[in-house]
Amino acid sequence: MKWNTLRYLFKEGIIGLWRNRTMALASIGTIILCLLILGMSYGIGTNIDYLIEQMETKFGITAYLKEGLEAEEITQLKTQVEAMNNVSEVIYISKEDALKSFSEDNGDQSLFMMFQEDNPLPASFEIITSNVKEQTALVEALNQLDGIDETVYFQNETASFIRIRNTVSYVCLAILIILVVVGLMLMSNTIKLTVYIRRREINIMKYVGATNSFIQVPFLIEGMLIGLLGALASIVMITVGYDWIMQKVAIMSGALSGLALVPTDNIMQALIPTYLILGVGIGLIGSAVAIHRHLDV
Amino acid sequence: MIELHGVTKVYSNGAVGLNNVSLRIEKGEFVFITGNSGSGKSTFLKMLYKEVDPDHGKIVINNKDITKMKKRQIPYLRRELGMVFQDFRLLPNKTVYENVAFAMEIVGASSREIRKNVPIVLGLVGLSRKARCYPNELSGGEQQRTALARAIVNNNPILIADEPTGNLDPATSWEIMNCLQEINKRGVTIIMATHEREIVNTLKKRVIEISNGQISKDVYEGGYDDEVEYSQIFI
Repeated sequence: MKWNTLRYLFKEGIIGLWRNRTMALASIGTIILCLLILGMSYGIGTNIDYLIEQMETKFGITAYLKEGLEAEEITQLKTQVEAMNNVSEVIYISKEDALKSFSEDNGDQSLFMMFQEDNPLPASFEIITSNVKEQTALVEALNQLDGIDETVYFQNETASFIRIRNTVSYVCLAILIILVVVGLMLMSNTIKLTVYIRRREINIMKYVGATNSFIQVPFLIEGMLIGLLGALASIVMITVGYDWIMQKVAIMSGALSGLALVPTDNIMQALIPTYLILGVGIGLIGSAVAIHRHLDV
Repeated sequence: MIELHGVTKVYSNGAVGLNNVSLRIEKGEFVFITGNSGSGKSTFLKMLYKEVDPDHGKIVINNKDITKMKKRQIPYLRRELGMVFQDFRLLPNKTVYENVAFAMEIVGASSREIRKNVPIVLGLVGLSRKARCYPNELSGGEQQRTALARAIVNNNPILIADEPTGNLDPATSWEIMNCLQEINKRGVTIIMATHEREIVNTLKKRVIEISNGQISKDVYEGGYDDEVEYSQIFI
């Protein structure tokens, strides 16, 4: 196709969009709706993921050491644990530290004084894992080590968080698939209606000798522009909306013991390309399907 | 220029469109196709621009057998044929100028060619002053002249007119006929289906009458219906 012709067809597409602006607005609206719901489920999903990640650091493994180990043995053991797979940090808590935090937790300083001489609490390692899912394997490996008496970890808590995270990602995927299908159907319906309204025009074009592609391209461009506008509007809405939520959450962040949401930039980095591809893709495919079915005169 | 060889078309409901019709139209001719409604007139015209395909026989236009033509070739056939219809068939959302320019956009003409040719053709049909009007702002005659301009702007060698004066009053009809004669003088072959006795009788062109799917009369410098003329003499 010649450059001249393409420019003409592009212009025709824009004119068509403006001429059918009510219809175009309706389809832009549906695309925005789809993309917003998609954005929300993505935002919720990533944030749950992000929160789990933050909590991972809080749900560490506690490995109690056997009584009577020399300081040198402890250091050696610590190095050994640090070298293990899936370990991101090891903090040594001595018998005194344990007793201190025990008495602080109970709000009674006299406890420290009382048990200082004959401390019943064992020394321990607080181990932070890099991946919660493989905690069980790490615990088994730790139990093999000499010098480690017993390991305690929040098996149930981590398991339930992993379950939530998986459920959320499945639900998001299902929502995404449903929305893309709905979006395609709505888009195709809109263009179908446009084609129907303009079928006389299309017919005339055919009598004058227009090829099918000459007739189709303006509709495709129209669909693409609808998708693009929908995507751009959604990007603006999500950015503004998410920023607002971020601010609200930041204000009450104290109550959430330091947990934070994923920064807007990170969310948008993933969403902008997705939106553009989905919007333009839905627009193009939807109008292509509609034209294909209705162009045969 | 246009040849039909034993062309037959029977519609699926059993109606006969054309029955073994053969004819030949030379370059530069002006031919009236007459006949009652349902006689096969429309079938004949529709076959020329391949809206209807014959069951048997072949049609040759410009030395090309269009019966063997593939579907995607049809637009290129139609670019050779200017077409004018009773209901004008202008694009409602385009001005007179844009409607004529559209035919050139289709063939991929450059914007310079378009800017040069469209005003010339609009001048030829006497519509220079209406270039910026939309079809609904025009009279029937003006709309039909726009359609004529569109039909010839690409220097199409053949013009097919299906009752172009069917919706117009007699005075306006003559305007259109004058335009058509002017176009014919420039060497364009014109095939026009019509019901208007007066026009056919006055212009004395070749007349092909179709009835029941067959050519019942083919006269050069003919009238609409010789029998009627004789009976009028007797009355």
